[in-house]
Amino acid sequence: MGLGICFGLPWLILVVVPYLSAAKVGTFAYSEGDHPEDGQKVYPDPVSQRYGSSDYGRQVYAAEGCAYCHTQVIRPTYAGPDMWIPGWAGREGGKENFARETQPEDYVTEPVALLGYQRIGPDLSNVGHRITDREEMHRHLRDPRELELEGGMPSFRHLYRRSLTGEGVEPTSRADALVDYLLSLKKDQPLPAAYLSRN
Amino acid sequence: MTAPIPTPEEMQERAEIDRSARYPVMFLFTSAATWLLVSSVLGLLSTLKLRFPSLWEACPFMGYGRLYPMFLNALVYGWAIQAGIGVMLWLMARLSRSRIQHPTLIVVAACIWNGGVALGVISVWLGAGRSLPLMDFPGWFWPILALSYSLMVVWVFSMAGKKRSQGFYVSELFLIGAAVWFPWVYLTANLFINKYAAPVMGAGVDAWYVSNLIYFWMAPVGIAVAYFIVPKISARPVYSYPLAQFSFWAMAALAGWTGFSRFMGGPFPAWIPSISGTATILILIAILTTVSNLLRTLKGCTKLWEYSPSLRFTVFGMLMLAIYGFLNAIGSTFEFGKNLQFSHFVAGMDVLALLGFFSMTMFGAFYFIVPRITGTEWVSAKGIRAHFWLSTYAVSTLVLFALLSGFAQGEDLKEWDRAFSVSYVNSTPYTLGRCFAWVVIVYANFVFFRQLAQMFCGRGRKSAGPTLLHVEPGSVDSARAIEGIQ
Repeated sequence: MGLGICFGLPWLILVVVPYLSAAKVGTFAYSEGDHPEDGQKVYPDPVSQRYGSSDYGRQVYAAEGCAYCHTQVIRPTYAGPDMWIPGWAGREGGKENFARETQPEDYVTEPVALLGYQRIGPDLSNVGHRITDREEMHRHLRDPRELELEGGMPSFRHLYRRSLTGEGVEPTSRADALVDYLLSLKKDQPLPAAYLSRN
Repeated sequence: MTAPIPTPEEMQERAEIDRSARYPVMFLFTSAATWLLVSSVLGLLSTLKLRFPSLWEACPFMGYGRLYPMFLNALVYGWAIQAGIGVMLWLMARLSRSRIQHPTLIVVAACIWNGGVALGVISVWLGAGRSLPLMDFPGWFWPILALSYSLMVVWVFSMAGKKRSQGFYVSELFLIGAAVWFPWVYLTANLFINKYAAPVMGAGVDAWYVSNLIYFWMAPVGIAVAYFIVPKISARPVYSYPLAQFSFWAMAALAGWTGFSRFMGGPFPAWIPSISGTATILILIAILTTVSNLLRTLKGCTKLWEYSPSLRFTVFGMLMLAIYGFLNAIGSTFEFGKNLQFSHFVAGMDVLALLGFFSMTMFGAFYFIVPRITGTEWVSAKGIRAHFWLSTYAVSTLVLFALLSGFAQGEDLKEWDRAFSVSYVNSTPYTLGRCFAWVVIVYANFVFFRQLAQMFCGRGRKSAGPTLLHVEPGSVDSARAIEGIQ
């Protein structure tokens, strides 16, 4: 009885209730004149969080164990330096500053958020803004040390094959999907007033 | 005060219990030790890959992102849980004075468990991992492991339920706690992550699962071993039974709240990581109470540590638990956590809990139990000494370097205008040191595996006395150690 209560209490309060309430994700409409430049009508906008075959790409990301070296979480300034690191927290420097810490709704298209284990490599929450060119993203995966000689990123050469013409290499469907997923990582959608007032 | 000398009837009863445990427990121990060796090699390979990312680049199966989860899962499900179940069964049989029932069924369940773990690890290797620490196996695996675990641990309950003339021993309390809590934690994590889509909470529940696996399963099993071995070898009763009960209930009340602080500042309601961090700090009280209770039990006869391998490994393991609890508490504060979170510190803490605390305590239990159930003695005291010192130095080095590297990494990231690769380059000496430490761990675990395999194959030493680390003829301490161990 005592053993059950000791475990049951945190189980209920810390896991079951927050889990079930988090499973019901609502959407928040932007008010008049508050529409972001990207044209989204609501937050979170699942359409803009997906790109090409990014759902399959997420599986490749998980299978290759990318989350053991890269995180996808931007902490507020009181909890870490993430917001200061250029490009990590979202688009900066323009007319509007979109940089912000990540919110639970930013992961709405994923079955489980891949928040990460260690930061052997940089945070990828907004890598889709930092690297916008598809070919450049492929180069990061195929020949990472061509771009950053001293980095710890290994090459994912096994996701590429010799091209049919015999010259150079071409991506497999797994590499293409992984690139789609990485390009889709943009967790800086502006938060509507309705969302902010809810919190 | 010395323990009462057992009567011939009691000796006979113990021998019968040990005989009933021979096949299931030895099977669990030997397969666990095999997994320990496999996971040590994987730990070495993954650290090499971390330091030299261009190694084996053309091979899809040798990426850090596959090797590291393989190492972690093989170590936990292959080694730690199997070793823990074997120890639980033997210890509960001895304490409840019951023979182990249905040994064949336990061996079959252990075969299923091993098959499940092997398939799971191979799945991660082949690219079906999920990038969720200790939940990396594909979603359909967990019922296999849950079923085989239940078939093995159900006998712990049946032995605990046996009518007895006195109350439960302290060790029994911890064993029953572990047996009740782990299935609950395991089912919760698997059902929630696999069945209900709540992305961020899924990641949080994974962190909660890892922490609960340590505090609700490994810690109780390890502490149960310590509360058995320390009084047994020192031939003294536990210093304070009320303190032991206090630490048990304090751990029970606090452990379930831990885990979420791994994502301090993450996308969770702020109260969840906060309460988790507070529980992680408070649980240190339970750990320190346990460790001080054990050390006070040993007070005045600490020299026994020089002779008894079981005592030496167990006490070292418990000291590592205290260090783990302390560092975990530090890492759960904002002041330190904001720099250490997501750094090498995280991997260092996992190694500290798994290899520093749990494995060392299990080695202590193995060195005590195996001679009793096989009826033979360890082949070489020199081998045991080598195993202890190599493991101690290597695990300490590994943990120290991971922690220093974590601090350095946190400081580097604070310099936000530097290139990220600087933090990787600066961690190079520490990662190199960890590679060397892994080489030593592989060798130490090979020495252990070889000795255990010899015992398994019936090639143990025939001797009337136990294998002591040092025997000084005529020494009082040596004689006491022999008396205590017998």
